[in-house]
Amino acid sequence: MSSLLKHRFRWLTKCVRRSIVARTTLAILVLSMSLGLTFAAIVSRNVDRREQERAEVRLQGLLATVERTAQIACYLNDPTLAAEIAHGLMLNRTLSGVSITAGKVTLARVGNTPLRADGVSVSSIRSQIYSPFDAHEAVGEIALFVDRVAIHAEAAGYARDSTLAMSLQAALVAAGVALAVYFFSTRPIRAVSNELHRIRSQTSARLRIPPGNRLDEIGTLVTDVNTLIGSLEDLLIRERELRIEHAVGERRMRLIFEKAESGIFVLDGRGVLDSWNPAFVRLLRLPAAQLPRAGVTQLQQLLAQHAVRVNELIRECLTSAQSNDLDLEMTGDGNSRAGWIEISLKPIGAGVLQGIVNDITERKQEELCAQELAAHDTLTGVLNLRGLNAGLAVAFARRASDSIPELALLQIDLDYFKEVNDAYGHESGDRVLRHVAGILQRNTRRGDLIARPGGDEFVVALVGIADLSKAQQIAKTIIADIKLPIDIAGQRVHIGASIGIAFATGESDSPQAVMRRADEAMYCAKKSGRGQVCLAPLSQRLSEDAVA
Amino acid sequence: MRLLFALAAILLTQAVRGQTLVVIVNPSIGVQHLSRRETLDIFLGRYRTFPSGESALPVDLQINSTERRQFYLILAHKDVADMSSYWARLTFSGKISPPFAVADARVAVDIVANNPNAIAYVDRTAVNNRVRIALELTP
Repeated sequence: MSSLLKHRFRWLTKCVRRSIVARTTLAILVLSMSLGLTFAAIVSRNVDRREQERAEVRLQGLLATVERTAQIACYLNDPTLAAEIAHGLMLNRTLSGVSITAGKVTLARVGNTPLRADGVSVSSIRSQIYSPFDAHEAVGEIALFVDRVAIHAEAAGYARDSTLAMSLQAALVAAGVALAVYFFSTRPIRAVSNELHRIRSQTSARLRIPPGNRLDEIGTLVTDVNTLIGSLEDLLIRERELRIEHAVGERRMRLIFEKAESGIFVLDGRGVLDSWNPAFVRLLRLPAAQLPRAGVTQLQQLLAQHAVRVNELIRECLTSAQSNDLDLEMTGDGNSRAGWIEISLKPIGAGVLQGIVNDITERKQEELCAQELAAHDTLTGVLNLRGLNAGLAVAFARRASDSIPELALLQIDLDYFKEVNDAYGHESGDRVLRHVAGILQRNTRRGDLIARPGGDEFVVALVGIADLSKAQQIAKTIIADIKLPIDIAGQRVHIGASIGIAFATGESDSPQAVMRRADEAMYCAKKSGRGQVCLAPLSQRLSEDAVA
Repeated sequence: MRLLFALAAILLTQAVRGQTLVVIVNPSIGVQHLSRRETLDIFLGRYRTFPSGESALPVDLQINSTERRQFYLILAHKDVADMSSYWARLTFSGKISPPFAVADARVAVDIVANNPNAIAYVDRTAVNNRVRIALELTP
């Protein structure tokens, strides 16, 4: 029995969980039943009291109806009339007895008329009867005995009927609601659900709206779902396209990364490499044994000789949040050639830097070449005025800081050059100048400077020479060499040279001052006959001091 | 208001004409005076005896006579129709019947004069010395 009950209960729970109709019906039933029972309880409690009251009112009305006749009966002490009245009253079912008295005389007594009404099973309503001709003269009394039990029974019957009616109504309403929910809600929803199952496997399919729900909420729901399906479909297509596009882009990027001439790499703030391309390995001239390991190897390790500068570059990049670059000279070894690389670093967020390495050897060489061109005389290959000035500036700077104490400047002016030029043409003049330059190069050391500031004028700076006679000796050798005949286009040409020598002495001496003194000494040499060497005073100041 | 005026007018004309009802009894009977209530109880059948114990025979006037209308109006505050309904209720019990009615005041006086138990009401002008006035009914 209990297992059957349990089974029933489980079945009910399942129904309620799985069916809106069952749930709604149960809810309505429970609600209306509990409301109905509450009302019935209230009603049955009140109905009894009200029925008693109503019975009293009814009986008072009854009394009023028979009053005049009762007045006459009492007035005349007429038992016949009184009995007639009493029997008439007894037709009312709620009355159990009637008695009519006139003074001490009982005119009529019908039914159960206890002497004392107990108030529980029987209660009485008594009314004085006055004379019909004198409203102040009491002529008798009428007493109605009420059967409370009968009234109770009547009230209970009434309450039972109303409870029954309410229950029936509740049941009917619940049934109606169940039907309405099934037809207007559950069935269309199931139809939509079936539609969803149907279209699950297909694309570009749409839900059909259940007939009759086109304009209501379910119709709107289906339309919305269809719109959603449509936009999802669009989204899927777009997604697929994007994925393809992305894959193509990635392949292209990978190709660029792999095949790029520039080395591309990513590293963190400590210089630890994360990724790089083959060009990076090639440009850094890394041997197979020294290939970097991602997440371990630092860029500083790979560029050990420039580690300090690389460190600085990384720090600068991170602090300024701007891209910075650095030119590094790579010394070649047995397997690789020497050259220059440029490393550019750019912060790309979260302490990560992206770097690009380019081979700039060619550009560097061009730069050096241009510098050389700018500093040298194209005709003879020795320094021009600009190169001389630069060289002197370096030499003087070194003289100030280093231990190289002295510098002798030889101002050389060619004799008879104009004549050669006039007689044999510019080409021959040029050849003479190249010849002289060769002589000067042969008679100087590697660290010395040779220059042709202009025309037939040459300057030689003997760096690190302190010996005056040595300088004079070199000057004399040069003059002797220049005096030797030169073969130009089958002709023997003779030229000569005058040389003025000035020494740079003292810390405050400037290249300009030394050159001016050398120039003056050269004019002195020229004046004292060609082919001479003339020595300028040690310094202007010294000579001035001597004069003084 | 209009009704009050009409009532006042009626009473005035009656006073002028000197119409005063009196209740008369036979002088042989030991009744000197009757109260209004005693008179009414006799006429309405409550008691059919005089207070002294002798039986009483009430005599009414014609149903449409002025005196009868006035009599019941003064004593019972009822009009003729009310009185008819009163008697109608009693007819089925058969115990009490309404007083018998005579043609006019003269006949009534004769009956009272000749019958010791009779009692009637007439206009004062109709009274003679053969009867005794037991009660004067001034409106």
